[in-house]
Amino acid sequence: PPESVPPHAFCCFSSCSSWLPQRVPLQGSHWQSSLLESRTSLPVRAQPKKKKKVDVKKEQAQKERMKKKLKKLEKAAPELIPIEDFITPLKYTESNRVRSLPALSPEESERRVLLLKKWCLFKQKQDKAEKKAIQALVDSQQEALQELQLESEELYQAAIRRDEGLFPFERDGPSYTPPLPGYDPPEGKCTDITKVYTQ
Amino acid sequence: DALLGCHRSYRSRPTHGIGRFKYLLPKEVPKRRKEKVQMKEISAGTEYQYGDLNIQMTSYDLCLVEHFAQHVHRLCNRLSIRVNESYAMPTKTNEVLFLEERGSKMQLDAVLTTHQRVVQIRGLSSTFAPILLEVIQSNQPEGVHLLIKEHTEADFKSRLKSRPELEELLAEMS
Repeated sequence: PPESVPPHAFCCFSSCSSWLPQRVPLQGSHWQSSLLESRTSLPVRAQPKKKKKVDVKKEQAQKERMKKKLKKLEKAAPELIPIEDFITPLKYTESNRVRSLPALSPEESERRVLLLKKWCLFKQKQDKAEKKAIQALVDSQQEALQELQLESEELYQAAIRRDEGLFPFERDGPSYTPPLPGYDPPEGKCTDITKVYTQ
Repeated sequence: DALLGCHRSYRSRPTHGIGRFKYLLPKEVPKRRKEKVQMKEISAGTEYQYGDLNIQMTSYDLCLVEHFAQHVHRLCNRLSIRVNESYAMPTKTNEVLFLEERGSKMQLDAVLTTHQRVVQIRGLSSTFAPILLEVIQSNQPEGVHLLIKEHTEADFKSRLKSRPELEELLAEMS
């Protein structure tokens, strides 16, 4: 509405922006014509103005509804995806079949117990050797660092710092057999059928 | 309240509080409400110490990866390295199809499940890190893929369920 009226006409008007032109003494006929334009444009603008108001209200209501929905969804805490490994499938709990083992002779059970003891001893030796190796590694490392410190302080400080290029560290496990040379695998594809959980 | 639990309260009589029995029952622990899954703070670590590190073990074999994760956890306990969490990532299932020699149809070969276990450690000193890596590598079983990386928010978010409605609303709002 104020677009049709020239801007400097407003300096005479009150601060509360009423677009109705006030009874102010105007000078010049061009102003009168502009006022007339604004007057005639009043009824023309009435219709679209209503639509705008209703639209604005509707939009606001919609926005508020969306905000409420968002708040409700955000209130619910995020859930962890259930891990299928830890859920026993039902078919293993339904059946009642029991395994019947044959009876062991005393020699057999004696042999088994002695074998178990030998295995325990072997594993204990292995574990002790591993611990000893770790301790030896740590000791030699400390000794080397002390010597380095005596040699030069700068290098010692640089050696103590953490290595940024170490992570991420990736390594494949060893394999029983190396890959066959010249093996031609059949054509095929691999599809991911993991179940997608949504909250 | 203890003595007046029963409606018969004759305080002068010797039979006062005769119906009491609650004091004889074992103390009930108040039921804990389900704690909200919240992300713990990720430490960045100092110059001489690493922050939160994730040791991720992946394999097709469940028992192997489970036992290896237990072994790594116990090793860290023994070497007094602080273990924040030890959890399992959701399993991924893959369907392997191959093309038959004579024919155009894809035949189902196998359904493989990939399992992943994560052991999260904090405060690993820079001098001890290579030793730990050596020990873990020497004990690594066949078929188990090892990956050690720093813990990020994205890693934590990958464990949570996706919320398509929330994302849609957020996209509409902005």
